[in-house]
Amino acid sequence: MSADGTGISPTRVGTSPNRVGGIGRVTGAQQYVADVRLPDALEVKLVTLGVAHARILSIDASAALAVPGVQAVFTAADLPRPVPRFGPQFVDRPVIATGETKYHGEPVAAVAAETKDAAEEAARLVRVAYEEIAPVVTIDDALAPGAELVQDPSIRPNDPLAGTNVLREHRFGWGDVDAEAATADVIVEGDYTFPMVTHFAIEPHAYIAAPDGDGIAVWSTIQHPNWLQRILSGVLGMPLSKVRVYAPDPGGGFGGKQHAKYEPLIAFMALRTGRPCRLVLSLEETFQAVRRTTTKVHVRHGLRTDGTIAFVDVRADYNIGAYADIADRVVAKGSYPAAGPYRVPAVRILSRSVLTHTVPATAFRGFGNPQVNWAVESNLDEAARALGIDRLEVRLRNVARTGDTLNPVDTRCDGEWDQSVRKAAEMIGWGRPLPAGHGRGIALGIKSGPTTGLSYSTVRLLSDGSVIVLAGTSDMGQGARTVFAQIASTELGVPLDRIAVVMGDTSIVPYDQQTSASRSTVLMGNAVLSACRDVQARLRAMAAKLHGIDEAAIEVAGGVVRLPDREIGVMDVLKPGLGRMGGEVIGNGMARKDAEPDHPLSGSAAFFEFNCTAIETAVDEETGDVTIVKHVTVSDVGKALNPLQVRMQDEGAAIQGLGHTLMEHYIYDDAGRIRNLGAIDYRIPTSMDLPLHMESAVVENEDGPGPYGAKGMSEGALLCVASAVGAAVRDATGAELHDLPLTPEVVWRALRERDRRRAEEVAR
Amino acid sequence: MHAFAYERPATLAEALALMQAHGSAARLLAGGTDLIIRLRDGSARPSVVIDVKRIPELDPGIRVDAGRLVIGARTVMTDIAADAHVRRHFLALAEAASVVGSVQIRNRATLAGNICNASPAADTAPPLLVYDATVVAAGPDGTRRIPIDAFFVRSGVTTLVPGEIVTAIELPVPDGPLGAAHQRRTRRRGHDLASVTLSVAIGGSGTTRLAYGSVGPRPVLHVDGSGVLADASATAEAKARVFEAAFADASPSPRSMRAGPDYRLAMLRVLGARAVATALDRLAGE
Repeated sequence: MSADGTGISPTRVGTSPNRVGGIGRVTGAQQYVADVRLPDALEVKLVTLGVAHARILSIDASAALAVPGVQAVFTAADLPRPVPRFGPQFVDRPVIATGETKYHGEPVAAVAAETKDAAEEAARLVRVAYEEIAPVVTIDDALAPGAELVQDPSIRPNDPLAGTNVLREHRFGWGDVDAEAATADVIVEGDYTFPMVTHFAIEPHAYIAAPDGDGIAVWSTIQHPNWLQRILSGVLGMPLSKVRVYAPDPGGGFGGKQHAKYEPLIAFMALRTGRPCRLVLSLEETFQAVRRTTTKVHVRHGLRTDGTIAFVDVRADYNIGAYADIADRVVAKGSYPAAGPYRVPAVRILSRSVLTHTVPATAFRGFGNPQVNWAVESNLDEAARALGIDRLEVRLRNVARTGDTLNPVDTRCDGEWDQSVRKAAEMIGWGRPLPAGHGRGIALGIKSGPTTGLSYSTVRLLSDGSVIVLAGTSDMGQGARTVFAQIASTELGVPLDRIAVVMGDTSIVPYDQQTSASRSTVLMGNAVLSACRDVQARLRAMAAKLHGIDEAAIEVAGGVVRLPDREIGVMDVLKPGLGRMGGEVIGNGMARKDAEPDHPLSGSAAFFEFNCTAIETAVDEETGDVTIVKHVTVSDVGKALNPLQVRMQDEGAAIQGLGHTLMEHYIYDDAGRIRNLGAIDYRIPTSMDLPLHMESAVVENEDGPGPYGAKGMSEGALLCVASAVGAAVRDATGAELHDLPLTPEVVWRALRERDRRRAEEVAR
Repeated sequence: MHAFAYERPATLAEALALMQAHGSAARLLAGGTDLIIRLRDGSARPSVVIDVKRIPELDPGIRVDAGRLVIGARTVMTDIAADAHVRRHFLALAEAASVVGSVQIRNRATLAGNICNASPAADTAPPLLVYDATVVAAGPDGTRRIPIDAFFVRSGVTTLVPGEIVTAIELPVPDGPLGAAHQRRTRRRGHDLASVTLSVAIGGSGTTRLAYGSVGPRPVLHVDGSGVLADASATAEAKARVFEAAFADASPSPRSMRAGPDYRLAMLRVLGARAVATALDRLAGE
């Protein structure tokens, strides 16, 4: 029965109702930040230089200011001294370039005008005198002796690495790698690179700031509104209570919208002009604002003849760009599980965050793991080949089983991972005959879930039995609104259309640490669940008072109130309980995972995301074209609270992974300029580039820490796409592949190299 | 976007007068699929944009007239790709028109615009070259007919003189059997700019016309009268020699970010062989 007496069944977890807010998204009714129109708003255009690295000598705004409608040309000179800096991990990024630019696209000035056209015209007319300085663009450039330093050592006091372009070194591991290497039966090593790619969210990044009494209101396409509120409070010197962040549901984030970028600048401009200021980035500007870390990885595997892994030795250098953003955390957390989901007695990992004069890198779905996975899984295939063991078999032999130790200081294996591997192998038809020119690959991916977390939720049961859920997660397309509504529906027995989920307003919605690391279903989900249970407890107390019986004798679950002698609905308690004055029942919930100061990542994994991807490809030997004949992805999700959304997350991640696997990459020139800004020469997969067949499946053992046994799962299917595709191409052709993306030209070159190698062997 | 004046002449004469008056400060707008991008990115900053969509003399349409197929200047790619005459006699042009940009772009982009933009990668240039098309251009001094091979100069530059407007493209309807095919290389299957384009047309007499683009400043036509490419029994070595001669004028830029020169040159040979094989199959089916 339904709690509210409408007779409509609640929508429980484990079903797939229509997405909450989905109709607004597909009809265009949803208001994104770029749709927000404030009266009297000024349009902002950034002024950038056509170089990567330059000393700014002077900025002459006179011609720009003469353009009709221009209200201000804002530079570092308009900011407090020293120019405020900010960042989620290091306080290194200036609000606007001061003294020098460090990457192609770093703004040196910003124009505010009555119209976008006037702002653009004026931005062209800002005359910047500058002296170009040779940039360091690649990891090799940055690590060369005597390389130009990207960060002034003075902003890194007491840092032994301050005189280098290495921001941080991370060392992880256990066991004795050298001793294992002395006894391993086969040792295989290789070098692998991962390209520089951007998130390419379809919604443009946008920022609006408006003076709001003695505070400020900021609209942003941000994933972490509370973190942004803290950053703004710091740079503006305002209490948190005076900084109101509105975060309408983003249209895709993928990590690129996690952290503050131009919000501080726009806020300062709004305070200076006394008017709302608005900046919507073009796609080209977005390329210059967010990108993924790119890597060079050297990996060495030692195996014994029976196929067990003796050791894994990984050196991973990540090019993180000109400012740290959250990239050093990406480096640490991405390289930490480099040994993979296997039982390995000895592991040694050295990873480095390398600063360069390129776009600051940030979080990107997979958080540094796909880069290392490409190297480690590809190399494991080579080791299996060297031993003459089947590539699936070597994985099954080593993959951890529930309760097995992975890293001795971290969470133990928390899933039946071999089930996912066997399922994927079966779905791809592993071992069955293939047509000529086809090949198969299989790869395993693991990612540490959140290492800390804090989410609060308030659930309000209103007098008519409808419900408001307050949850500070950002629903950027993953479907968090729907899942939270389903949890409330399950717990309180209220149908979905009588539940409102309120997000994205820091003055109203309780604190949430962040929307990242596939955490929201687990952490915020648990907070919503505990808030619902709090509501149930209050209903129990209300029922006890109404019926004059002991609370302990009453049970409230799923919208049903069980008295000792009968069952009644929630409304049967709520209506008389609230009485004539109305009111509501308010439940509060919290989910918290504390930091562990002695842990190498300051916290063990709340859960692991585990995925197995299996691929069949066909390769055109003449052109290098790779056709994905079949793409299989299996994720261990604990419990799919909304099976359709889980599948969409898996498929979306898998397809996004095909981008860096097959076609996406930034092209820099020697001067550090990005040559392929925008959609014409930076290609992402279209519907025509999809696999001919794609199948996704899940393993559900209700063994996760989230509500009803759920685990986070939104990144898993991206982790090992490249590894599985590369393995399939290798299997089809015999060509060795080390560098992504596997464009037709790259594969064609690898095929020529294979032919050259074979001819050499014949000659010998 | 930079501000500009917008004119929408109702006749060809008015359009020509506007072109005279504004000279190089004017840009013509037909489908807009090239121009709008350039207006947005600021690489074109005309003071006046002349919209030719209301000029009856440029009306879209495909008709056969005295042994020639006449394609009106404003005919869009979608209509060319679907047209029965084009598919019957000029299949390589239909194939090329059907891969320009995306569905949305093909619904707007005109054939005349594609060639006037004179991109070395223009998909429709190779088929127009193998079919020996003629560009009809109206100017202040009357109408000129320009053989397509004498039309392209380099990227963005044609032999049109200032003030001229293309009114139609004409293709001679073949008087005998012809097998033709169009091939291209792109970085992905979804809509993309080509890194190599190539068309062939093989006549019953044994003459093969082969044209290719995106490997030099302008698309290149090569006519092979040796009969080797048209000969299904010719050896691969013999065909390779003809291809060597045909592709001698390819000069792909090492600065291109779409593909390396060696890959492009290798792909010319792959596409050439594939297009010839397809064209021969089609010729045999005529």
